[in-house]
Amino acid sequence: MNAIGQPAGQPTRRAGHNIEGGFDVERIRQDFPILSRQVHGKPLVYFDSGASAQKPRAVIDAMTEVLENEYTNVHRGAHYLSQTLTDRYEGVRETIARFINAPSENQIVITRNTTEAINLVAATYGRKFLGRGDGVVVSTMEHHANIVPWQMLRDEKGIELKVAPIDDTGALDLDAYAALLDGNTKLVAITHCSNVLGTMVPAAEIVRLAHDRGIPVLLDGSQAVVHSTVDVQALDADFYVFTGHKLYGPNAIGVLYGKAELLAQMPPYQGGGDMIASVTFEKTTYQEPPHRFEAGTPPIVEAIGLGAAMDYVSAIGMEAIAAHEKSLLTYATERLMAQPGIQLFGTAPGKAAILSFIQQGIHPFDTAATLDREGVAVRVGQHCAEPLMGRLGVDGTVRASLAMYNTTAEVDTMIRALERARTLFG
Amino acid sequence: MTIAAEKLAQYDEYVEALEILDEESRFEYIIDIGKRADKTAFPAECMDDAHLMHGCMSKVWIIHSRENDRSIFRGQSDAIIVKGLVSMMTGSFSGLTSGELAEVTLDHVRGLNLGALTMQRQVGMMAMLKHMQKLSLQAERAEAAD
Ligand SMILES: Cc1ncc(COP(=O)(O)O)c(C=O)c1O
Repeated sequence: MNAIGQPAGQPTRRAGHNIEGGFDVERIRQDFPILSRQVHGKPLVYFDSGASAQKPRAVIDAMTEVLENEYTNVHRGAHYLSQTLTDRYEGVRETIARFINAPSENQIVITRNTTEAINLVAATYGRKFLGRGDGVVVSTMEHHANIVPWQMLRDEKGIELKVAPIDDTGALDLDAYAALLDGNTKLVAITHCSNVLGTMVPAAEIVRLAHDRGIPVLLDGSQAVVHSTVDVQALDADFYVFTGHKLYGPNAIGVLYGKAELLAQMPPYQGGGDMIASVTFEKTTYQEPPHRFEAGTPPIVEAIGLGAAMDYVSAIGMEAIAAHEKSLLTYATERLMAQPGIQLFGTAPGKAAILSFIQQGIHPFDTAATLDREGVAVRVGQHCAEPLMGRLGVDGTVRASLAMYNTTAEVDTMIRALERARTLFG
Repeated sequence: MTIAAEKLAQYDEYVEALEILDEESRFEYIIDIGKRADKTAFPAECMDDAHLMHGCMSKVWIIHSRENDRSIFRGQSDAIIVKGLVSMMTGSFSGLTSGELAEVTLDHVRGLNLGALTMQRQVGMMAMLKHMQKLSLQAERAEAAD
């Protein structure tokens, strides 16, 4: 299959200024069929990968191949198709484990998305181990997916939500965070990378500070896993969650990594098929993790797609992707800040390639609508992070989130579109 | 019941104006309406929570008054494009009774030919219409109860 952007050891095809360290963005772009389409008669500039990334041919082909040739249910049949597809499906668990350096594929729980993974932890670990007066520490810049499940637990069990603040650059205030670990705190649930500001938190340090006080840590890696190499063992994370569709994989599949001793103590999440060892009307016994937490027919085709996405990303190399995104971010930031009246939110050192901004005097919606006319897809609004908007003192922002397939020429297109917005609305 | 043609004169004017424009010009036309609406003062004190319509990407305020049994609307938004859209809606459908307003449907909104300006805005305009229908009915009921 000729689907990898830059197979190792092959000469790079010259494509101007975007080749660096063997990373050929023009070649990568050819792997993503959607990038050659037009919107409103203009070439699509997709700067909304933070909401959901586009899919390479390798992912599309892998999923199509399963549907055309290999499809059946998994874990259930004695027949040929079922056994081969079950092997492939379980093989993806190993791919995922390798991707985040988990010690074992048995610590990889397949979910629908990040949201379900966090809800799973809240509903199982949270319900079992957290009680009245216990504290859960989150940060100001959480996605609603890492706020609401804890609030539901608060309403049910009387736990307390504690919020670690950020500074004006969007960096986590580590001293304030450490101070919140005293007293009643029993769990930390914090984003590894902000979907609005791009801030990468010092995750290993966050975990170390919590572990010093015997507190386990859940990291929301939805964005971090896309922009950086994640090693759950190096981080010593107790739970690590992310979603497939931002990682160039399909939607409707997510991942919960958990430490073996924690997963072993957790009760099931949902009840049904696949998660049981034996069922009688008197008594049911449950499977060991990870299957205990995967009731019902899993996202089979999506799992194959996610495996293909991880293979694709790994073949290109996360380091190369991160380096490309970093230089693109630097370029985009410089060009953006050279524009009059730009307010940029999130300037913490080492941030990921996410740019949240407003054009002063122009509503973010008007900016985004003008960008859309020029084929530039961005997100506008609160980005599922309403409390953060309150902290920033705005109703919403325009968010351009960059990915491995974006180019400096696309940044130039966005800048021209912003100039047009200034003419129209300024 | 159908709505008398002359009551939709302003709506028809929008439809005719938009019909002959290409996509790009429609975009600028709406912005133009939004900018002009800026100058027809919407009372600042009405840009409050009581007149806020929820569930939009930008803020939308709509005020309603009654002249005889007719509903008169005025709209405002913090985004200019949305101000253009809400102005088109309030301009098109002011002067109708609540019974007539109830006859306004998605087809009328579609008839404005804003399809190219993405579904979301069309959905937003349906929400505005529903909100206007609700305001009109509420006022009518309140009057009847007096
Ligand atoms: C940081 C973060 N957490 C959680 C989520 C939720 O992801 P999903 O909707 O796939 O569950 C997102 C993406 O929307 C995100 O960016």
